[in-house]
Amino acid sequence: MINKDLSVEFLGVHFENPFCLSSSPVGNCYDMCKKAYDCGWGGVVFKTIGPKHFLIDEVSPRFDALTKEATPFVGFKNMEQIAEHSLEENLADLRRLKAEYPHKVLIASIMGTNEEDWTELARLVEEAGADMIEMNLSCPQMTSHAMGSDVGANPELCKKYCAAVKRGSKLPMLAKMTPNITDMVPVAKACLEGGADGIAAINTIKSIVNLDLQRYIGLPIINGKSSISGYSGKAVKPVALRFIQQLRSGIKDLPISGIGGIETWEDAAEFILLGATTLQVTTSIMQYGYRVVEDMKNGLMHYMEEQGVDRLQDLVGRANPNLIPAEELDRDYIVYPKIDEEKCIGCGRCYISCYDGAHQAMIWNEAKRRPDCDHEKCVGCHLCLLVCPVKAISAGEVVMKPGRQGDPASKVI
Amino acid sequence: MTRKYTEELERGYTALTVMEEAQRCLLCHDAPCTQACPAGTDPGRFIRSVRFRNFKGAAETIRENNALGAICARVCPTERYCQKGCSRCGIDKPIDIGGIQRFVTDFEAQTGMEILKAGPENGLTVAIVGSGPSALQAAATLRALGYGVEIFEAQEKAGGYLRYGIPEYRLPEAVLEHELSLIEKLGVKFQFKTKVGQDISLAELKERYAAVLLAIGASQAKMLDLFRDNDRVESAVSFLARVRQNHGQIDLPSNVLVIGGGDVAMDVSTTLKMLGVKNVTDVVYEEFCEFLASEKELRGAQELGVTIIDGYVPTECREGVVTFKHRHIDSQLTITVEKIILAVGQQVEAANLELPLVKNEVEFEGYQADTKVFVTGDIAHGDKTVVWAVKKGREAAMAIHQSLGGKA
Repeated sequence: MINKDLSVEFLGVHFENPFCLSSSPVGNCYDMCKKAYDCGWGGVVFKTIGPKHFLIDEVSPRFDALTKEATPFVGFKNMEQIAEHSLEENLADLRRLKAEYPHKVLIASIMGTNEEDWTELARLVEEAGADMIEMNLSCPQMTSHAMGSDVGANPELCKKYCAAVKRGSKLPMLAKMTPNITDMVPVAKACLEGGADGIAAINTIKSIVNLDLQRYIGLPIINGKSSISGYSGKAVKPVALRFIQQLRSGIKDLPISGIGGIETWEDAAEFILLGATTLQVTTSIMQYGYRVVEDMKNGLMHYMEEQGVDRLQDLVGRANPNLIPAEELDRDYIVYPKIDEEKCIGCGRCYISCYDGAHQAMIWNEAKRRPDCDHEKCVGCHLCLLVCPVKAISAGEVVMKPGRQGDPASKVI
Repeated sequence: MTRKYTEELERGYTALTVMEEAQRCLLCHDAPCTQACPAGTDPGRFIRSVRFRNFKGAAETIRENNALGAICARVCPTERYCQKGCSRCGIDKPIDIGGIQRFVTDFEAQTGMEILKAGPENGLTVAIVGSGPSALQAAATLRALGYGVEIFEAQEKAGGYLRYGIPEYRLPEAVLEHELSLIEKLGVKFQFKTKVGQDISLAELKERYAAVLLAIGASQAKMLDLFRDNDRVESAVSFLARVRQNHGQIDLPSNVLVIGGGDVAMDVSTTLKMLGVKNVTDVVYEEFCEFLASEKELRGAQELGVTIIDGYVPTECREGVVTFKHRHIDSQLTITVEKIILAVGQQVEAANLELPLVKNEVEFEGYQADTKVFVTGDIAHGDKTVVWAVKKGREAAMAIHQSLGGKA
């Protein structure tokens, strides 16, 4: 079995691998975190610890899932807030975990309602043995507007609370961002100015996932009503990747802990290539259990081997330079689709999509049940490649647009 | 052996698993499955409706051209029709179209949908002789066009071969009854135990009705001379009807020989196994490479442990001792059994109906026999499957409508 070094250094802390539980229902107590460590997770972000005076009172039920055809958990909705155990219990769990797993990383997520709370919680978790602090500035379903994503959308408040945490602890500190905002960069900058050492992104997206069509109520139903709350899982990965790219291009070499729909090693690699050094996971654990880390780690090792990389850190941010503003893209050429008639099974999906969703360039041979591309009409959008169920269509001939200079063979397609 | 004769053998899809199967469908342009359904049931369209979670719309599509959608879903040899052209075969295996259709029609029944509708009455009434699948489809189509319909059936109940031929594990009684109730609700009237040519003459029907549709099925068993006057011999038709009428409660010996290789022979063999017969041996004239039975039926019989011997012709029969010879190689086979069931084909019994029948089919093309008399079902040209009966039933109804001055 392959064995590569997946360890990373992040904010001065050594992680045996980058995979961590995110602060959520999956890291809610000692037993859960212990099992996660035993399954091979590199670190745990313990479920957000709040101040003593803020009582957590959860609804039942509290989750919902988006499905597509027969695929469950395309996206996941969660209404749970922060840890419901007492402050003492949470701190005791932190102590016990650090004592029993000194080489695993223990990150304490905290959330206060004012500066004093933040300072005090930071002090307490450092004392309990945490290696790092993550500030939860982003939970979208808190019952207090002085907490969660309402705070995370306000740069001034974020900066003030970051400074408060730094007064309580010298530990390295991450500020966890809300995606319920147009531009994350000003908030992240404010956090860094306040003393944050890195950014965790993204928390969940405010959502309504499904409605009960008979009773006109959002799901899940809590005594006839529902609320907007956080959306996660595979469906949010593209949104998370976009924010991470924007953070990395707005703040050079920003240390990031990437979060948002990671369930395979490929997802993990994408976050790393866009600049995340560590990774955090919840939804796929809720669906499949802690064991998902096994294939993420092994798959990532094989990927490193294929890429000829011995240190995972060398992959961090490799894709950042290759995402540029739309106005800077090369618009001088067209890549025509190439149809493999042997592979084609004659379903005609490319024909339908090209006609109804693109440029009517696919010609359909009714007798042969085969498509043919009319280069006069084709604009090279490649919708046909995406809808083909057997990958019988690939990128074919590259041609320069009329009047444009350049060598088609030199284009990286 | 715990399978029960009265319980449907194939497990149906659930609302979840049907989505998995519908998801496999490639939703083809100009779908080959749709082109291949003789009855025009339009699987391409109803599977798409399932895929987009419109189960009610899917049921409407099925019923548009097929009044027996729930029956076809279960008994149609789909591998010969819709599934044969399925594009998915280019990847792995065809979509289970029958299975999806069954889910949709079950959903339709569970939600109490009544899609078939009678049209405004036009004052004309058509008599239909027989109540098999073709007659039932013709009745539904004629009612939709506003014709009154009266069905004359020789048996006690409606359905023809659907009731007396197809075993219950393939077509549960409840499904047949539900389909019949939908057709009855259209205002179709039934006269049972009335044999045309005996209890009432064709001439009388012609006199009383605007048109007469003869939907006579091939309900009489063929007999081979070798087996005549042998009290161990029973025809498949008689055996299947007897089992069905008694819901499987009949006495059987432990060794039974079946002769024949079509779907009926498979039904007989499978039924015997389900009823607990220890040794069921089916000897077939055709070799496996030219087999007549549908794949599903053959597989079902084999899964239950029926011994199938292909390529042999019976040459001698003395009481329970039957000798066969292979058609191509020098090989002889002697089997001693307590009971022999012959499934070697069926014929039409249509004396007194003045029909030009050759090999159980009318000589003429189309459906019109004379100015007032029309034919459909097994005696009309074409395949003898239920789906073809549906096609012919609708087409014959349209032919009647046209001849009575209606527009096609």
